[in-house]
Amino acid sequence: MKRINILLCLVLSVLMAWASQEVGDSLTDRAVDLPDVEPSCLLEPNRPPAIMFTAEGGWGRVLDSYLTPITYKGWHTALGFEHNQACGFSPERWQRQLSLGVAYDHVDNRVGNNTMHHLGGTARWALMRRWSGVFNRHFSLMGGGMTWLHGGIIYNSANSNNPVSVKAYWTLGLQGIAQYDTHLGHVPVCLRYQAALPVAGVWFSPDYDESFYEIYVGNRKHLIQPGWWGNRFDLDHQVTADFRLGGTILRVGYHGTIERSWARHLNTHITTHGIVIGLGGEFLSLPSRSSRVISTY
Amino acid sequence: MKRILYILTILLTLTACHDQPQWRDDPYGNFDALWTIIDEHYSFFDYKQVDWNEVGARYRAKLTHDMTSQELFDLCGDMLKELRDGHTNLIASHDVSRYWIWEQYPVNYDERLIDDHYLNFNYKQASGIKYAILPNNYGYMRYASFSNSIGDGNLDLVFSYLSTADGLIIDVRSNGGGYLTNVETLVGRFIDRRTHVGSIQHKNGPGHNDFSEPFDYYFEPTKNHIHYQRPVVILVNRGSFSATNNFVSIMRHLPQVTIVGDTTGGGSGLPFTSELPNGWRIRFSSCPITDVDGTVTEFGVAPDVRVDLLDTDAAQGRDTMLETAFQVLRSRL
Repeated sequence: MKRINILLCLVLSVLMAWASQEVGDSLTDRAVDLPDVEPSCLLEPNRPPAIMFTAEGGWGRVLDSYLTPITYKGWHTALGFEHNQACGFSPERWQRQLSLGVAYDHVDNRVGNNTMHHLGGTARWALMRRWSGVFNRHFSLMGGGMTWLHGGIIYNSANSNNPVSVKAYWTLGLQGIAQYDTHLGHVPVCLRYQAALPVAGVWFSPDYDESFYEIYVGNRKHLIQPGWWGNRFDLDHQVTADFRLGGTILRVGYHGTIERSWARHLNTHITTHGIVIGLGGEFLSLPSRSSRVISTY
Repeated sequence: MKRILYILTILLTLTACHDQPQWRDDPYGNFDALWTIIDEHYSFFDYKQVDWNEVGARYRAKLTHDMTSQELFDLCGDMLKELRDGHTNLIASHDVSRYWIWEQYPVNYDERLIDDHYLNFNYKQASGIKYAILPNNYGYMRYASFSNSIGDGNLDLVFSYLSTADGLIIDVRSNGGGYLTNVETLVGRFIDRRTHVGSIQHKNGPGHNDFSEPFDYYFEPTKNHIHYQRPVVILVNRGSFSATNNFVSIMRHLPQVTIVGDTTGGGSGLPFTSELPNGWRIRFSSCPITDVDGTVTEFGVAPDVRVDLLDTDAAQGRDTMLETAFQVLRSRL
């Protein structure tokens, strides 16, 4: 019987969430509005996480002077995961976002006789303050801090003792989102620009012509560099449109990344541009079983 | 708010944007790219007393706009030969420029002579190592390339088999090098304590004298595996190059080891690779490695016992250098 009650509550919650969405509430607003529905089975405000899986294809440009002074160009592809949720401590004002991604660039030199492979993984967590109805009731802004962990390699198979450039950095920075909710016909659409801008952190960099053999035999001095806008600049930004199709959200848009660094006379310019297609939705999250109260009357 | 935007604007102007020179893909652009890459990364200008500016000006004067790719390649190859460096090669799809010092000296090695007259084609092979116990009860190991990875298990079997020999000859003649990690694996069987084996540096900037401080590096004895502590002779020739040169420069400092043969081929700079706009690759010495005394062995390691393979001996089925190794081992017992 208890299970039936839980199921009924779940169905009721989803239906109410759907109803509130149909009248044009934004994704995050719904996270706020859900408690008004007051399903009898929940004590805490409901904060449905919005989850999005994305695939990306496009164009990349890679220069890493540790490997070659020549700029390589080619195709870029990536997979991403994004998790947005209002924060428990102040769901009306604060939102957190977790972004995970892997990317691969297959780039060739100008004459086409050599290929480099760039493989990277990124994890980013952001905590943002939300301002709803900034210019009108459809427009909202979010801004806050984020931390960004990135690791990857660029592999040049034609090189001898410098075949790989290792990319690893951890930074703290800023993240912002501008969001506009509208409709395309009867379909609710959320237009969004999002940018993540690292400000300071640390990153791995060998010296100018330091070999990995030297690191292997024990010289690990000065491999970690402090990073700031004076020696590296990174930007991850995207312009997307999220179409709500029933319980599913379809995302299309553009995603671009910029990575530039200049330290120890080593120069890195990596730029990618990709078309993003994603599928996602909202998932109702229940409190933990121990704190869940089931109505008995 | 305005103040914050102003500060942000100022900070954004500090971004790490640094233009990378991109040369034209024509004879002048490719030549300048090559000259600049060597100028900024090559590590032995002072050691070899090479005036790279003078060399560049002399060869650049020979460039023409309409020269063929082959002519440009030959010109660039000739310029690189001024560095007298076996690790410096210009690599194109049709050719590889080279300055291989062993081409200027006697070969001093005949594999067939050893196989036929000493091993009688009766030998074992493991991890790229050919080994046997000769009739005079000396062990013989032929390691043809440090590119052949050595397994510890294989080495255990090799040294277990050779443990009854009165001495060991390691033949690395015409071994053109390979992976330095294999040097460590092999040396680890001949040392019984942590051993200082040399120093390594790297360029830390584009200037000719921009080098890091020398970093002393050590090898550990291979733990829980068989070690060889009896007298050892290492046979070398001018073709013992690069990683082999490094191996010899380390082993010669061990008390039980004698180096026999010709001076090694050198090549003590760890090579890096770069690229020209036309897709040609350029390999060059970048990280100098010195031996434990701080000696640069770019031009080779002199043997303890100097000997050549004589044609008259070879005609009689005798390897003069191997026979000398026998004498050395007899004198060490």
